[in-house]
Amino acid sequence: MIQIELFLLLSAILFVVGLYGVLTTNRGIIVLMSIEIMLNAGNINMIAFAAYWGSALGQVFVIFSLAIAAAEVAVGIALLLNVYKVKKTTKIDDMTILRW
Amino acid sequence: MSIAFIDNLDLSFISTVFGSTVPIAPQIVIILAALLSPAIYLLTKKGKAVGLFALLMIVISGLLTGVMISQGENFYGEYAGLFAFDPFSGLMMLLFLAVAFITVLASLNYSEMTKYKGEYYALILGATAGMMFVAGSSNLLTIFVGVEVVSIASYAMVALKKNDPRAAEAGFKYMVIGAISTALTLFGMSMLYGVTGTLAINEIGPVINGLGFTMPVVIGLVTIIAGYGFKIAAVPFHMWAPDVYEGAATPVSGFLATGSKKMGFVALFKIFIVLFILASTNLAESMQWTFAVIAAVTMTVGNLVAISQTNIKRMLAYSSIAQAGYILIALAVMSQYAMQGAMFHMFTHVFMKGGAFIIVAALITAGLGERIEDYKGLAKRAPFMAFAMLLFLFSLAGIPPLAGFTSKFVLFSSAIYVDGAVVTDWVWLALVAILNSAISLYYYARVVKAMYIETGESQEKVKVKGVYTFTVLLCVIGVIVLGVYPGPLLDLIGQAAGDLIGKIPL
Repeated sequence: MIQIELFLLLSAILFVVGLYGVLTTNRGIIVLMSIEIMLNAGNINMIAFAAYWGSALGQVFVIFSLAIAAAEVAVGIALLLNVYKVKKTTKIDDMTILRW
Repeated sequence: MSIAFIDNLDLSFISTVFGSTVPIAPQIVIILAALLSPAIYLLTKKGKAVGLFALLMIVISGLLTGVMISQGENFYGEYAGLFAFDPFSGLMMLLFLAVAFITVLASLNYSEMTKYKGEYYALILGATAGMMFVAGSSNLLTIFVGVEVVSIASYAMVALKKNDPRAAEAGFKYMVIGAISTALTLFGMSMLYGVTGTLAINEIGPVINGLGFTMPVVIGLVTIIAGYGFKIAAVPFHMWAPDVYEGAATPVSGFLATGSKKMGFVALFKIFIVLFILASTNLAESMQWTFAVIAAVTMTVGNLVAISQTNIKRMLAYSSIAQAGYILIALAVMSQYAMQGAMFHMFTHVFMKGGAFIIVAALITAGLGERIEDYKGLAKRAPFMAFAMLLFLFSLAGIPPLAGFTSKFVLFSSAIYVDGAVVTDWVWLALVAILNSAISLYYYARVVKAMYIETGESQEKVKVKGVYTFTVLLCVIGVIVLGVYPGPLLDLIGQAAGDLIGKIPL
């Protein structure tokens, strides 16, 4: 059996990659994609631990979190489309009406 | 507690109708309402009809919850090992229903609303059901799903004010930050699951107590604090709150400030209640200090930045960040009395902050602006609204005999008295909180000064719609009654806090 630490390492790397993407990119769609990567890091953790403990709880959790991630992205894309309709741009740097 | 009138009623119909799902009966009513509201809008094409239907269902659910609490022994129980109806969850469900009631009432006549009335009420009811599920959950899975139901519904609610660049921008920002917090929470929960092998909250406590604070537990708890710290807008996770509250339609801002934020606290209480027990063994000291520092920084930053705000919605947003800091004292002190204070402050905050947002909504509908300058001379133009605003702001600042004073009194004194004895660990926190209350009086008084002392350009009377006057009146009654006569509610909350803490075995 593969050691649990390797899974944790993979999920930690994915999480950091996703966070880096969210914080540095200027494009709205890429932000949504990076968020998906962050969510999947947690999912991989859950699945690995479910196998480790030999219980289905973690897998059930992942089914729920996948559904939630899908809903989140659906709403996210709708919101981004709305931003595009109103402001004709999806660049994060142009969303500067609200500050301080 | 039981009331003679209710004792005489035949309540067996509740069990007959809901069967084994009695512990989640109030949520079922609200979910039905959420599913039916778009259909009702399609049939009647009248936004008001949907609103009244939503109000009716909220009242039914509220009565059901009230009856179930008053007849506790018969209705307390678990459903599927995921949800529990106990005094704590019952009271919190009542709180969320009160928030939903006030919000729907304030939305009936709101001018900034778009044509999507059916969807709007469905989203509010869906979010309320999510909050109630969080309040009733006894498992990490249901807490996670409940919080997400609320979050996803509120992203849509914020952006529903269409063709407004501020709302569009606020909605997207809220969604991105909310999704990051979701990812953080998911990661933290997976860590807790990995360490303990269970998702049931009352099974996690004993395992952590046996293992001690190992690295994975700390990673799990810290990422959960970060994740739900976003939801309650604690510093340094607060940057979204002012943007979203300013961009969203005002009733939605009120809903987020009073409801969504309380839900974050309920989730934190539920997860960290484990540590309340461990607090007695000094294991949780590092977590207590984490919360204490977050609480102190949150209230200070919230209050200091609020001073320089010129937009009233933004000022109220920063003030509710500060209020979140006060409530966080309970998680630093981790005693039953502190828990009682936090829950009581959550109740009073609904009426004072909700009332303030509704006044802002009423004045926007009547044609006034959002800037504090626009409120100059309001005492002459709309005497009742100005007076109610004065009450709410002074209550937020904590001036007796209003509700904010009473709840702050309980909350701050809990930092000094822990379980009946004077403890010196958290006196500094109480001191910071009291200094902050003094700072906050400055910017609240600025609004009062604009309303009562300064005179504006226009002297015309402001015509406020009847629904708003009624809603504000309800909030005023809440603020005064809870301030002058807090006894009964405080006792109920004390029992609920004791019950919640007593449930966790060590």
